[in-house]
Parts: sequence; C-alpha cells; structure tokens
Amino acid sequence: MTLIALDPGVQCTLQAAPRIGLRHAGVPASGPADPVSMALANRLVGRAPGDACLEITYGPARFRFGAPVQIGIAGASAPVRVGGIPREPHATLKVEAGEEVGIGAATAGARIYLAVAGDLKADEFLGSRSTYLPAGLGGIEGRALRKGDALTFEAAAPVAEVTTPDALRNPPQDSFALRAVPGPDLKDSADFPWAETFTASPRLSRMGVEIMGKLPDRHDAGVMPSAAVFPGTLQATPQGHGFLLLVDGQTTGGYPHLLQVIRADRHLLGQVRPGNRIRFLPRTQARAEEDLRAKQALLETWLPGFRL
Amino acid sequence: MTLGRYALMACGDDALRILCGPGDVRHDLASMLTSDHAWLEVVPGRIDVTVAFDPHTHSMNNAHARLMAALENDPGTRRRDQRVHELVVEFGGAAGPDLAPLAARLGRPESEIAGMIENSPLQVDMLGFTPGFAYLAGLDAALVSERLANPRTRVPAGSVGLITGQIGLYALDGPGGWPIVGRVLSPLFDRAAAQPFVLGAGDRVVLRRLTRP
Repeated sequence: MTLIALDPGVQCTLQAAPRIGLRHAGVPASGPADPVSMALANRLVGRAPGDACLEITYGPARFRFGAPVQIGIAGASAPVRVGGIPREPHATLKVEAGEEVGIGAATAGARIYLAVAGDLKADEFLGSRSTYLPAGLGGIEGRALRKGDALTFEAAAPVAEVTTPDALRNPPQDSFALRAVPGPDLKDSADFPWAETFTASPRLSRMGVEIMGKLPDRHDAGVMPSAAVFPGTLQATPQGHGFLLLVDGQTTGGYPHLLQVIRADRHLLGQVRPGNRIRFLPRTQARAEEDLRAKQALLETWLPGFRL
Repeated sequence: MTLGRYALMACGDDALRILCGPGDVRHDLASMLTSDHAWLEVVPGRIDVTVAFDPHTHSMNNAHARLMAALENDPGTRRRDQRVHELVVEFGGAAGPDLAPLAARLGRPESEIAGMIENSPLQVDMLGFTPGFAYLAGLDAALVSERLANPRTRVPAGSVGLITGQIGLYALDGPGGWPIVGRVLSPLFDRAAAQPFVLGAGDRVVLRRLTRP
C-alpha cells in the first residue's frame, strides 16, 4: 500500500524508536522530538510506541492513501480533514482509497504525528529507522519528505476504533514549565534565575532551540573542555543566550551546561515553537525520580511498553 | 589506585560524569564501562567520561553505587589494546584547498607541512560535533592555524582539517569550519558495517602522504 506526500510542508520526516548507544561516535538518538505524542498516535492504530510515524512540523501538510487504511493523529493542535471532512485528532480515523488527509497549520505546539495501521518501509541505520537529517541517515534516504514521495507500507488488520483518554491529551500551550536539575557546570542551584521567563527564538530545529532571557554571566562560555551533552541540556552560549538541545542535538559541547531538563519532561521540548515562553522549575534528584514515576504511571495506563 | 583520584558528579537525572582528567585514562575507563553493558551510553569528553543510565530501572543513588563499584574493581589502569590506523592522505590541491595559504603564512613548503603532519604522533582524543568527526591530538605545535572566518557549508567526507594542536577528520560530508589541508583516500564511514566508523577514541593515527608512482 502507498502513502503519497502531496505536500509534506516545511519539514516532514519519518521517525521511529531512537538510536541508542552511539553518542561516543557523535551519533545522536534522533527519533520523535515528542515521543509521547508519537506513542499516542501509534496507539490509535494499534502500533507499538516506537513504530515508524511521520513527524510533521507546524503544518499545513497533505497526504493521499492508495487503499483504505486506519490512521491516528496526535501532537500539536491543528485542524484535520479526511476526504475534505473535518475530523478530530486523538481518534482512530478511517481513510478510503484515494482520499486526502489534510493537516492545517498548528495553532499551538510544533509537531504533529501521523501514524498508519501498517509498517512503514524505511532505511534502517544501526538498528533504527529514525531520520537524522544532518548526516542523511535512516528514514527516507536520510532526508525530509518531498512533494510526490510515495511511501510503502504493509497494511495490518483493522483495529477496534479508540480515542485517547482526556487525561492524556495534554494539548500544547504557548508557555512551558520545564522541571530541571542543575547541570554539571552550575555550581549552586541558587545561581540560576529560576524566576526568569525565557522566550524561544526562531533558531529552532530538531537539533535544539535558542531561548532568550537573562542567564548568569559566564566568562567561561565557549572555553570549557568539551563533554557529553544530551537532549534536555540547557547550555549558555557566548552570545549570552540559552540553547536547549533536542533529539538531534550534538553529542558533545563546550558551552557551560547549566541545567538538565528532567527525563519526565523532555518530550515537551518537541512542541516548543518560536515565541513560546519557557520557565524552569528547580528539582532535586529525589523529586525528579518521583516526577518520572508519576508521569510514567499515568502514561502506562494507556501506552503499554512506553518508556519516557 | 584508589577511587580518590576521580570525582563523580551527576549530569542531569539520568547520567553520571567521572572527572578523570585528560589522556589515555579516559579511553581505558570508557572501554571498561562499555564492556560492563550496564550503561546506555559511554561518552568520553576532553577530561571526563559520562555514562547515561535508564532511570526507569536505576535510581541516581543506585547508578552511583554501581559506577563506584565498577571503578573500584578497575580504575582504568588496565591498558586496552590500542589500535593504530595508517591512513593515506592526498595533501593540497582540490583535496586540501587550505594547504597552500597555510604554507604561505607559515613560510614553509607544502611538502614540509605534509611531512610534519605525517610525523606527528596523532591520537583520537574524542569523537563528536557530527557523526564520526574525530578530534586528533598530538599535532606538531609549529603548525599554527585558526578556524576559518567563514565556515564551509559542505566539506567532503575524508577531509583533513587542521587547527593549532589538532587535526579533525570528517567521516561524513557536512558543514565544517576547520581549514582543510587534505583528504583521506579510504572511507572513514561504512553505513552497512556493524561498526560504521573506522576511528574510535584512543586510537593512534598516522596520516601517510600519498606517493604517486
């Protein structure tokens, strides 16, 4: 069966489970920028949390299917049309052969996930089909989808129609409160301006997002010995801004590592868009562990096998 | 050897950092920790090694204790087998467009600079920046060069970059800000291989000048 990208929009990539264990070679994890939303989309069509999906940035985007299929849509808030008729995301949707699926411009959040009830064919690199654009690895020839691309998939048997429980929908907002622990280069938690509200700049990609606001003066910005960094790392740049790393971010860096967004909240970074406001909430290690357990327990009720 | 010579610190809520200083100890520790299979990632930096763990199965305290035990058992003093790569390089010309200006600035012939690189005891200090990009330490200190004022948007795979004290080897095509003095003729990346990157941290490297028949 085929899925045709009539208009993939500004950036649409195929993402699946992340690529783990290669950061020592400079290869980041990739995978969905917002893994919770991707797992929710997959759940609507009976797929596992890390099965391949399309990650659509901002919208609008349009696709056509060559045969009847079930799809699931989750992530950024955006209008959805199937065969011209408005439909709701977060529900199993039936698409007839030749019908167009249209996703409008997102009104909040940055990334929309489109899952199909079938196994999307893609290039595998070191155990993952996720696209890593900077090096052209995985996905569809390692690149973003182009107009007219035809993806093939093995259709699965139809699943019972479901909708995402309200408690898990958590639509993206224009402001984010990200829980964070001090990074290795923040000597004292009290040195961080926790009351400051930062604004996401237009410098934003799957590699990271620049945030503007008052950070502690770091005379050592740019001269620190390079060390490992991860998604959720907040660095202080020599320009005096912050840079929050995302799933395609570099694996080592020499800027001061001020904060680390806790594991439980890293999925939220994938929905930040330019102009959004960001605050950081201080966490101890013990609180970060409680936060992770609580969110994981909630998600597990609906997403078996999913790990934040 | 006691644990006293290392400091451990948290790196977020799912990673720990061992501050062990520069040199081979990082590579020995990374090798030991990788073979331990307890860590999701083992990433050497300039003066440290960072390990990531799964916070769903280990608390920070638990991971910390596990790391302490591993370091007590083997504090990175057992020498690894050290790999040596002899890579043939085409210096200058289209393969190394920045060699001629570098030679002019240093007042040495291009062939002399290539020879100084060939005779430098190079070692992969770490990989990072882009997949497989290798930072090599040990370059002849007389080869003084800064990064390019205007980075290139595309540098071919195999390119040999040079800044003061360091060689950078580009495993993949990609953006690059280092002056390029040559190109390694054999691939540094094979996407189909189980170990797709030829170079690893701690490896010794000789950049041999291409001799034409």
